[in-house]
Amino acid sequence: MEENYKLAKWLNDEMTDEELKEFQSESDYHLYEKIKLYSSELETTNFDEEKLLSKVIASKNQAPKVIPLKQNWFLRIAAVLVIGLGLYFSYNTFSATNEIAANGLKTTFSLPDNSEVVLNSGSEISYKKWNWDSNRNLNLKGEAYFKVAKGKKFEVKTDLGTVSVLGTQFDVKARKNRFDVTCFEGRVKVNYNKQEVILTKGQTVAFENNNKILFENVSETKPSWTSSEINFNKESLSNVLDEIQRQYNISINQKEIENKQLFTGKLPTNNLDVALETISSIYHLKYSKTEKSNYTFEEIK
Amino acid sequence: MSNYTISETCQENVFSHFFKNHIKSLRNFLTYKYGNEEQAEDIAQEAFIKLWQNCKDVPLEKAKSYIYTIANNSSLNVIAHQKVKLNYQKTNASNDRSNESPEFLLEEKQFKDKLLTAIENLNETQRVAFLMHRIDGKKYAEIAEELNISVKAVEKRIHIALLELRKEFKNFK
Repeated sequence: MEENYKLAKWLNDEMTDEELKEFQSESDYHLYEKIKLYSSELETTNFDEEKLLSKVIASKNQAPKVIPLKQNWFLRIAAVLVIGLGLYFSYNTFSATNEIAANGLKTTFSLPDNSEVVLNSGSEISYKKWNWDSNRNLNLKGEAYFKVAKGKKFEVKTDLGTVSVLGTQFDVKARKNRFDVTCFEGRVKVNYNKQEVILTKGQTVAFENNNKILFENVSETKPSWTSSEINFNKESLSNVLDEIQRQYNISINQKEIENKQLFTGKLPTNNLDVALETISSIYHLKYSKTEKSNYTFEEIK
Repeated sequence: MSNYTISETCQENVFSHFFKNHIKSLRNFLTYKYGNEEQAEDIAQEAFIKLWQNCKDVPLEKAKSYIYTIANNSSLNVIAHQKVKLNYQKTNASNDRSNESPEFLLEEKQFKDKLLTAIENLNETQRVAFLMHRIDGKKYAEIAEELNISVKAVEKRIHIALLELRKEFKNFK
């Protein structure tokens, strides 16, 4: 190895006299000697060291790089908007959507698969838009009329029971303890407290307090309440009065009414006087207006 | 103790002294490396600026290896290595022979030109080591430290550089 780098040793004047003598006898020695001589005469161009130094010294006094806030303003606003929109859309698709029809109002809306829903007064539906097509179920409080588009199982869950369907039209009513389902087209399966009823076109079923109280045919093709009247089938007076309260957005006081007769018939939803008159004459009651949209019913003594 | 040395680098007179001791050889080293004086000066300046700005963290005894590390890590987007601009000193030994015959002078000039071309044709590592020794008169140990290689490696580079130069001259003949 040492031998290998003898030229380096020689250039650095590290050779012993012996080594030097041997090297001097080589034919190339003269050439190496000239290279050594002339390369020692080489120099680089001069340059202004002082100027460079003052530049370096001055560099420290320069303010550190400051990226002005302005530059990022646009980006910041854009980022906030993007995040905001992202949150908005994910909230919209992943969280439950609520549709509400207040007392005295009805709401019609479409589900993501274009199924139509008409909400009766004082009713509420919540459902999730996300993955709706393969998971069609919604929660209902109150009454609503469904025109279900064809697709997978469509489920309406209420506190009282569940209705599942395959592309039909049906009405679900879950008020207090009474659960009514009417099928207008196709087939509907109704589950109520472990009871299961399959409704076909033109059939209606009603449950109250764990009992099936009604199972019969109807001639209507859509619920009466969607066209300015409301149909009652063996309803208790208090349920009927509750419905009137919802339809007209009024409040009704019942004073010591013990009549347990069930009401079957139609009441208008666009004429309060007729509706109140009808009820009071059938049940032998008198009603009075106590204040604005406040009515009292009592038995005629 | 360490606090003392740290602040030392930050003292302007100490820093200036250090700068003057090392700027030329650093800049030369970069010139040999890249063959472009302007860029060599820029990188050298950049290295010293970094040292000056970080003077609190770099004790004086580490300042040299600090600037050489930056220089070694520097890279240029330069397209190709440019020719190293080197001159022969005007006041040199050959003046003694100024009374030599014109033939000799011509021969000498030719040799010098060939030598420059031959050096130019060396590969980067050999040229850098060779010129650091010949022009800056550095010891092998010093070169080794600055290039962050072993002394043996420096010797090898010098040795090969000389072999290559000789080969170039043989080719000329």
